[in-house]
Amino acid sequence: MAGWTCRFLLQRGARLLSPRTESSLFIACRRTVKTTTWFEEHLTEDNQEYMRKIVGEDYRKLTAERLNPLKDEPWPRHEWTEGRGRPKFTSLLHAVVQDCHVLKYLTKDEYDGRTAALLVGGKNVSPFHRSESEMEMFRNAGVPPKQKVSTFKVSDNAIIKPGTPLYAAHFRPGQYVDVTAKTIGKGFQGVMKRWGFKGQPATHGQTKTHRRPGASGPGGDPARVWKGKKMPGKMGNIIRTAHGLKIWRVNTKYNVLYVNGSVPGHRNCLVKIRDTTLPLRSASILNPPFPTYFTEEEEDLAEDLYDESLFVHTEPSLALT
Amino acid sequence: MAACCRNLHKCAHYLRSVRLQQIQNERLLSTSSCRLAPSDKPGKFIPPSKPVIIDKAQSATSQRKFLSPEFIPPRQRTDPLKFSMERKDMIRRRKVLDIPEFYAGSILAVTMTDPNANGKVNRFVGICIQRGGKGLGATFVLRNIIDNQGVEICYELYNPRIQQVELLKLEKRLDDNLLYLRDALPEYSTVEPNMKPVPAPSTGEVPLNKMKVRMRPKPWSKRWERPKYNVQGIAFEQILSAEQLEHAQKWAQPWLQYDMLKEYDTSRIQEEILTEVTREMGQ
Repeated sequence: MAGWTCRFLLQRGARLLSPRTESSLFIACRRTVKTTTWFEEHLTEDNQEYMRKIVGEDYRKLTAERLNPLKDEPWPRHEWTEGRGRPKFTSLLHAVVQDCHVLKYLTKDEYDGRTAALLVGGKNVSPFHRSESEMEMFRNAGVPPKQKVSTFKVSDNAIIKPGTPLYAAHFRPGQYVDVTAKTIGKGFQGVMKRWGFKGQPATHGQTKTHRRPGASGPGGDPARVWKGKKMPGKMGNIIRTAHGLKIWRVNTKYNVLYVNGSVPGHRNCLVKIRDTTLPLRSASILNPPFPTYFTEEEEDLAEDLYDESLFVHTEPSLALT
Repeated sequence: MAACCRNLHKCAHYLRSVRLQQIQNERLLSTSSCRLAPSDKPGKFIPPSKPVIIDKAQSATSQRKFLSPEFIPPRQRTDPLKFSMERKDMIRRRKVLDIPEFYAGSILAVTMTDPNANGKVNRFVGICIQRGGKGLGATFVLRNIIDNQGVEICYELYNPRIQQVELLKLEKRLDDNLLYLRDALPEYSTVEPNMKPVPAPSTGEVPLNKMKVRMRPKPWSKRWERPKYNVQGIAFEQILSAEQLEHAQKWAQPWLQYDMLKEYDTSRIQEEILTEVTREMGQ
């Protein structure tokens, strides 16, 4: 149903009727185009419940079966060579990998002229509140719609067919990763919290000045404030990467990665994990599953994979001789 | 028919022998102790005392169900998968290292690997003053006074360096944490390092020690008389006057007990986790 919706400014409400202001009325109101209806508008309650249930079961079956519908012609796999980029993927928390699928392959020319890219999506969501154009990509790949889609730069011999599921076993213990996520938003913050300024003393005659920035620049020569001066403002809710985090343990059953240290983002947030770009740690990736871990081909992985120097709880207590 | 007769004979024989034994026992008893009160008539029958049946197959401790407090997850927005995976690790560790049931106020001895000690292990005995933390990071603090110096060591329950946790005395106190022992007289925190384990009482319950501790003169490290600490185990009357106690009540927050957002009812979670843990430990 196509329709025009006008959102009037609140002040205009009283002056609608005068003809003089009619033209300015249209300039003042904002128009939003709504071309789609919500899925339950013309359905009965029973049908709505049925739709939700059916779609949920369908997606669960899709992910649980660990098959990709385009399995008939798997793309050729290439040998791992040093220095080639592997595809990496999105995951939830800093640990759990939930329903990651490869969505699309962009060739070198389509992407940026230098490297190929793979679009990967994580975490299934309901298809009902997504528009048709968004759903198109997911339908082509044959996967449920995803909450987050991200791009990974990949070398040519590491491309994967769209629709392949990606698992936590893609990473192995002892490997180093970079984790990217949106940091926790702190809102509008002052200069002491945002930039770590020292502020002013609490006593000794300070008049109403305890957390202020103080001076803002050199003085008469520039006679202005430099661009990028540290000042109060919105803090957090920006994308940041933690580099060189070691993976200590991988649980293949629940798709959980145990990553060293802290990671940007709040609890249960979506996070992007890639192999490290740090030059001194890239050697830790010895014989990784290339281009990714396929369940059909490597069936016999233990439920928990541990790093060599990690204490496993089933061992007896540490004793020194 | 013949088999029945034989069984009947056997039963009869058995009963006869039991009755004989009973009569013999009575005779013994009657000769050893004077069971007839002097004022009673000599012919009055006094029945024998009932025997106390101690079921040795199931000891009292195993019948009591105890879930260690670090298994109960805090009220957070974290995925329950994280807590269930942590519980699995905790159970794996508990299968290797036996961690006894203990409370604040119990006396424990911990042997831990130490690269700088003689024999590479060191043993510390102390009274547990607090149990903190949840999951694999659960800790307990042991306090003792050695050479007139108070020593407190915070041990992690699931630390791989811990070789053995011995329970020397199982006891409960009136409070959950006994940090006030730092300001109490030293006799209440002293535990003999070579103490022998005290056997638990035969009844299944944990003994509750209702002692009220005597304190050193003020100032203390914390104002223990204030209601926020809710200390039951200090004898305040001996060191503080009634006015001081009344003055401390000014910091009371009586509305806290009605605060519904602070409610965290763990009974159902506790039952579920207890069944899960007993099942996994039994395997």
